[in-house]
Order: sequence, then structure tokens, then C-alpha cells
Amino acid sequence: MAITMKVNGMEHQLDVDEDTPLLWVLRDHLSLVGTKFGCGRGLCGACTVQIDGTPTRSCLTTVAAVSGRNISTIESLVEQQPDLIDAWVEENVAQCGYCQSGQLMSAAALLATNAAPSDEEIDSAMAGNICRCGTYGRIRKAIHRTAEGRQ
Amino acid sequence: MNSLHLRNLSRRNFLVSSSALVVGSYAYTTGFNPVFANGTQSLSPSVYLEVGADGTVTVTCHRSEMGQGIKTAVAQVVCEELEADWDQVVVAQAEGDAKYGDQNTDGSRSIKNFFVPLRNAGAAAREMLVQAAADSWGVAPDECEAREHAVHHETSARSIPFGELVNAASKLDVPTNPTLKARENWNHIGKARIHVDAYDVATGTATYGADVTLPNMAIAVMVHAPVLGSSPLEVKVPDSANENARFIGIEKINAAPGPIGFNPVGSVAVIAEDTYTGIRVAKDLEITWSESPNRTFDSDTFQQSLRDGVKSTGKVWHEVGDADALLSNAEEKIDAVYETPFLSHAPMEPPSAIANVVDDSVEVLAPVQDPQTTRNTIVGVQGFAIENVKVTPTLLGGAFGRKSKPDFVLEAVELSKRLKRPIRVQWQRENDLQYDYFHAPSVQRYEATLGEDGMPIAWRQRTAFPSIMSTVAAPNMVEPANWELDMGFTNTPYRCENQSIEATGLKAGVRIGWLRSVCNIFHAFGANVFIDELAEKAGMDPIDYRLAMWKGMDTVQGALPSEPGHEFKIERLRNVLNRVRANSNWDEKLAAGRALGVAVHHSFLSYVATVLEVDASDPDYRVTDAHVVLDCGTYVNADTCVAQMEGAVVFGLSAAQRAKLTFKDGAIQENNFDGYLIARMPDAPSISVELVNSEQLPAGVGEPGVPPVAPALSNAIYRAGGDRRRSLPLI
Repeated sequence: MAITMKVNGMEHQLDVDEDTPLLWVLRDHLSLVGTKFGCGRGLCGACTVQIDGTPTRSCLTTVAAVSGRNISTIESLVEQQPDLIDAWVEENVAQCGYCQSGQLMSAAALLATNAAPSDEEIDSAMAGNICRCGTYGRIRKAIHRTAEGRQ
Repeated sequence: MNSLHLRNLSRRNFLVSSSALVVGSYAYTTGFNPVFANGTQSLSPSVYLEVGADGTVTVTCHRSEMGQGIKTAVAQVVCEELEADWDQVVVAQAEGDAKYGDQNTDGSRSIKNFFVPLRNAGAAAREMLVQAAADSWGVAPDECEAREHAVHHETSARSIPFGELVNAASKLDVPTNPTLKARENWNHIGKARIHVDAYDVATGTATYGADVTLPNMAIAVMVHAPVLGSSPLEVKVPDSANENARFIGIEKINAAPGPIGFNPVGSVAVIAEDTYTGIRVAKDLEITWSESPNRTFDSDTFQQSLRDGVKSTGKVWHEVGDADALLSNAEEKIDAVYETPFLSHAPMEPPSAIANVVDDSVEVLAPVQDPQTTRNTIVGVQGFAIENVKVTPTLLGGAFGRKSKPDFVLEAVELSKRLKRPIRVQWQRENDLQYDYFHAPSVQRYEATLGEDGMPIAWRQRTAFPSIMSTVAAPNMVEPANWELDMGFTNTPYRCENQSIEATGLKAGVRIGWLRSVCNIFHAFGANVFIDELAEKAGMDPIDYRLAMWKGMDTVQGALPSEPGHEFKIERLRNVLNRVRANSNWDEKLAAGRALGVAVHHSFLSYVATVLEVDASDPDYRVTDAHVVLDCGTYVNADTCVAQMEGAVVFGLSAAQRAKLTFKDGAIQENNFDGYLIARMPDAPSISVELVNSEQLPAGVGEPGVPPVAPALSNAIYRAGGDRRRSLPLI
């Protein structure tokens, strides 16, 4: 079916089955491969994007459900929250890096609604994003660093 | 793009507050060797390094990057000896080629094995640049000095940038024995550096296995046999699939006869124009599979067999005195059994590989830990000439040992050959957990009887686990190998004048492989919990008890001879334990409801002591704080070492707290992250790391932080008033 979707501010018209997960539309049809496939069941957060600002697991979200909505992916973060990316680099957060697109999109959504999150609030907001390398402590630091920079 | 060759030219230090700056740091070239825009000569005295006429230094990293920071560390080492400016260095990823030496990126040995060769490469280039400058000035080379990307002649206040010296330097002989810098002059080795890929990762532009698309490429979504050894018989494709124009077809792959090795398992590949079409069709296939003897495999039954295995004498690897008689006649002995389950690597990136077979040649782009073994295995299976097989690693989205086995690459090669077009194989999480090369389950039994001073006078330890060799070498190699036992068992630092060390192996009905820290995980668990049990019996502090066990000891000898310069020294083990005692305030009284647990372990030639603090008021004993001390000898990137210890605590907590895999009727029962429970952000403690300032030879960093975590947690839980937990997972 014909679907109209707005990704990172650009409108796209696609002819895909309506049950196609947003993840695979981003990766295979729009070549936005920064969003990663981790589990396919919304359990790991590697595929996190924002839909109208809300962090969302794109592997479980059908393309039909986001028709007409504003979708933001990691590729837009450099324009939306460049200081968050700076903090990620300065704290040397990433190890293998594969989960970090999802981590960043969850962190960006948290900071958009909570200017100074506590450790507990960070843990709660980020609990859906697995990092097998175990960079959680540095993710906390990078979020705090970004928040402090905005004070 | 007309080639698979990936030149991952990474720089660091890109900060992007000026958001207009977008750095395209990936380039796909038609050949591996760097091509400089002006076509001039470059200086390349080594396969690891090239200096361009524009001054750009390209360091070629021949080891795979999976998060351990090797690309950054390799560049630091070369940069040190070259006296290069860090901001003018880029890092390229090498393809698999024997000219680089070993590329098998596991065993925490990239820096250990290549520290000197990389230094030599940098130093040789430096000496050639200095000679070229000296020649142009008509002065002696020893009057000249290389620093900050240029050669300087102080007495005449002249200098020439590296780039301008490249043409002349490239015509000189490469020095075979260049002079290496003195340690006190190091500016890069030992410093903290941000990883060269940090910016690409944070902007979503880093390239992993599934991120490259070739023209005319199709996707293969795999449906693997439910039981190891089965092959597909009949496959019924639903009508809906045949009506889908994006569905291309199915291909059956039979389980390879003979040893399992790195061969593909039985599967049906769903070939499609896009991934989701493949996933949807895969879900609806009706497949009948051939029978396999592994259908009877059951992990509970297997665990019981391991328990039975430690009830009687196994193969004796070490025997002094007469432990058997003393233990049989002892009035009182401590007899404890420790158990650990099957574990999976579960890297966040499920296996994925691209292969493009054209006639009798193939190019592969895949997240592999060992591109040479991948290449050689393709040669062995497909019969291609080795020069017609190119394998280039992408970044690895985590690996932990999984991606040293190229079974998923062989699938891509076979399918590309059949389909005559580029194929990207995509595993789903269920495939990844089902067909891992699993971390072996184990049972260990420790028995000791203590003298009046509380120290052991007789000691017997037995271990039972399925050997990795039974999977990767030959099915009849069931006995644990000496190198597996020297991971914390036959090289135990807990010695006794009457001691027996025994091992038993059993064949499992699933694939066994090496997972970050390998057998050290279960051997460190048994040994460190048992020592705490003995300390309690003796009425002694657990750290004091360990120190008492080591009194008068100098070195530990395992089943295999030590590598020169890498002897297992008790002094270094004692030091990390004393340091973690101080850092964790071990001897101070804790607030009510808090407790500390300790463990210390030597692995991958490094020494790690870990103290965990738990919240006793939490029924799950949440770990609030971790203190780690690492002695890995000389280290390169200080921040990477800290990061690897932090990551190891979290990786270790996954195994310690909740991770466990089970099998029934030969099939895995936990097939995604709702069953296989990995540590998440709320599980992560605050972690402090001390690196021992050492001038010893470089040793392992990626793995040795993991083994102490699980025993430290078990010991902390007990000291918090919990029961003695001898079986992983603990929560």
C-alpha cells in the first residue's frame, strides 16, 4: 500500500505492506541504517527512534501506525541535540557502539522532557536499552554532562 | 561502489557543536592501499603504516574492532614511535592476509603480541624520515630529531614537515633494527584517548555488517534446524509468499557431515529483496527436518552428568602428597559443589555477512574476529584459490568470541554462489541464541580439611565440563584440554602440600565455544567462593585468608609452560588484592544493610581483584558499587583499560545474576532477551577502577575483568546475611 511518512523532516512516499515494521522501512527502503536491529521484539532498544518526540521501538511499530507522524532517527540527532553527541564522545561512551544509536535516542527523549534527570530517573528511562558491552555508567555520565551544559 | 573493500578511515576529536560539520569518514575504494589524491609516492616501511605526501599517517589495524578499542590503541603505539601528530593519523581496517601476522582477535592478546612489531613499524618510519631530512641538510641524522610530525635540526633552527620528506624517505632502505623510544619519553602510550570511531558511533554513521548494501544484493533470512545435526527435508512455502514479488525463493543447506567445526548448520534460507519480506516468509514456512542424535539432548540431564562426573576421580593433572587418604580420614572436611550453566555471547549485533561470489572468486564483508581463518575456511569449503578470496571485517557490533567462528559467513558464500548475486545473510536474535557456540556449563567440587591454624592440609578439586575441542576439533576430544584447565584450574594459586587436581569431560549435544574469559568464568567462581568458605571455617577475614594461602609463594605453574616474561607472579596477585582492599575500604565498618564481597583472579596474563558492595535490604541484593584493580603490565590506552574493566563488571553481572540457557529435546528454550536476561542500566553499579602502574610486558585487558565478578557477588550476598550461593545464576 502507499504510505506517506515524515522522517527527519523529509516526506517520503513508499509502497510497502502496511504491517512492515518501521525499522525495516528505515533500513531497507530509506537507507537510514543508523537505526539497528537487535531483537525484533522490543526487548533490547537498539532500534529506538522517536515518534513525535516519544522514544519508540521501531521493530514493533508498523509503518501504517506512523503514517503522517514525525519520525526522528539517529541521523537527525546531530542537528537536534549536538551537545548530547559531544558528551557521548567526550565521555568515550561507546565500546562496540552497536546499541548506541538506540541509547542516544532514548537519552535525547529523556532530556527533552527532564532537563536534569537524577540517576534513578536515568536508570528508569534507559532500562529498555541493553548494552552488552556494559557502558551504562558512562551513558549516565554523558546524560548528566549534557544536562549540566544546558544549565 | 564496485568493490567490497571497506576503508574505515576513522579520525577522532570531532566535536559537533557547530552542527553544520558533517564528517564523512568512510570511503569505499577500489583497492585496499591508500590512494593519495596527488598520486605521489608514499612512505610505507611496514604493512601497518603508510605516510602520505600530504603528511597523513594511515595506520592499518589488522585486528578486528569489537569495542575493545584496538584501532585506537594500535594508532597510539605507532604514533608514539613515529612522533606523529595524533590529529594527522587515520586508521584503516586491514583485510584478512597472512602478511599482517596473526589476525585472530581473541584471547586478549592484540597488544601483547603486536606491541613490539607496531613500535618497530613506527620507529622505522621515523628513522627514514630523519635520514631524509639529514641528507637534505647535509648533517648527521643524530643531530636531528623527529617530533610533532616534522624533523627538526635544533642547531640551525630548521625543520621539515613529515609530508615533504616522504618522497626522499621512501627511497631509503627500511631499517631492520630501529631504535625504540625510552619509556620515560612516551607521550602516547599509557595516555587516555577517545576511540577513533567515537564520533561515527554517536552519529549513527559507523558501519557494521548489515549496514552495507551492494547493487543487486538480496537478503537471506535464515531458519536453522531446531536441533544440531538436522537438515531440511520438505519445505512448504505459503501461497502468500509466492504472491509477494519481493520474495525470491528458498535454499536448503544441509548440515555438514563430520566434525562441527565452523561449518554451517542445517537451515533453510529465505531469499528476498528486503529483510522484512524474508522474516515474514521465514515465519510461515512449514519445514520437516531429518532426525539427529542430538534430539535427546537435555541440559538438566547433562548438568546431572557433570555432577556425577565430580563424584569420582577424573584425569589427574596434578598430585602432591596424599590428599585422598587425608580427606578420607578427616574428622571434618569442607566439601562444596559449584555449578554454572550454559551461556550465550549475545552480542547486540546478530550475525550478518555479505558475500559476492563471481565465478570462482568471492569478496566478503562481515563482522568477523579472524578474517584469515574466515578466508581459509572459505577456501577449504568452496575450493577457491586463496588469492580469489577476500575477507574484510566491518566493525563488529559486539562479539565476545562468537564472531571468531565464521559459520554465518560460509552461509553467505554458499548462497551467493547458488544465487549468482551478492547476498547479505541476516540472523535474527532467535538464530543467534539458538546457534551460538555456547559457553560450557560446569560443575566443580572442592574438598579440603584444615589444620589447627585454619589453613588447608589436604585439598582436592575436580572440574567437569564439555571441552571446546569436541566442537571445533574432533567429536571424540571430550577431555578438557590443558589450555582450558590453565584457565584458573590447573594454574590455581591455592596450593596445599597434599593436593589433587582432577578433570572430567563430557560431550554436549550443542556447539561449545569460547566466550569472553572462557573457562576462567567458572573456575574463578568455584575457587573464590570456596576460599571464602574456608576463611569462614577458619574464622578469618577472606582477604587475610587468601594472603595467608600465598605466604612464601613466588610463582604459580600450570599445566603449560609460562611464556617468557609472563610468569604468574604471586606478588602481583597479592598487590591487586591489597589495592582493592584499600580502595573499597574493606576493613571499615559498613553501614547497616551493606556488605562487601571479594574475588581475585589471574587470567590472560593479567591480574584483577574485584570488590562488590551489595544492598542487603534488597531481596535481589542489588550491587551498588564495584571496585576493580587491574595489573595488565604496560598498557596503551588508559581509558580503554578502565572502560574494559567497567564493561567486564556488567558482563560478569549478567552471568552472575540472571543469565542461563537451557535445552529440551535438543532445542534451546530461551530464544530472546525475555528469556536470556542480560544486565540492564538499573543493574549497573558505580564502578571505580585502578590501573596498576607497571613496566611489565603488556598482557590481556578485554577479558580478565570478567572472572572475579560472579564469585565476588556470591561472597557479598553471604556476608550480607544471605545463604551460600554456589550455583550460577545467583539471583
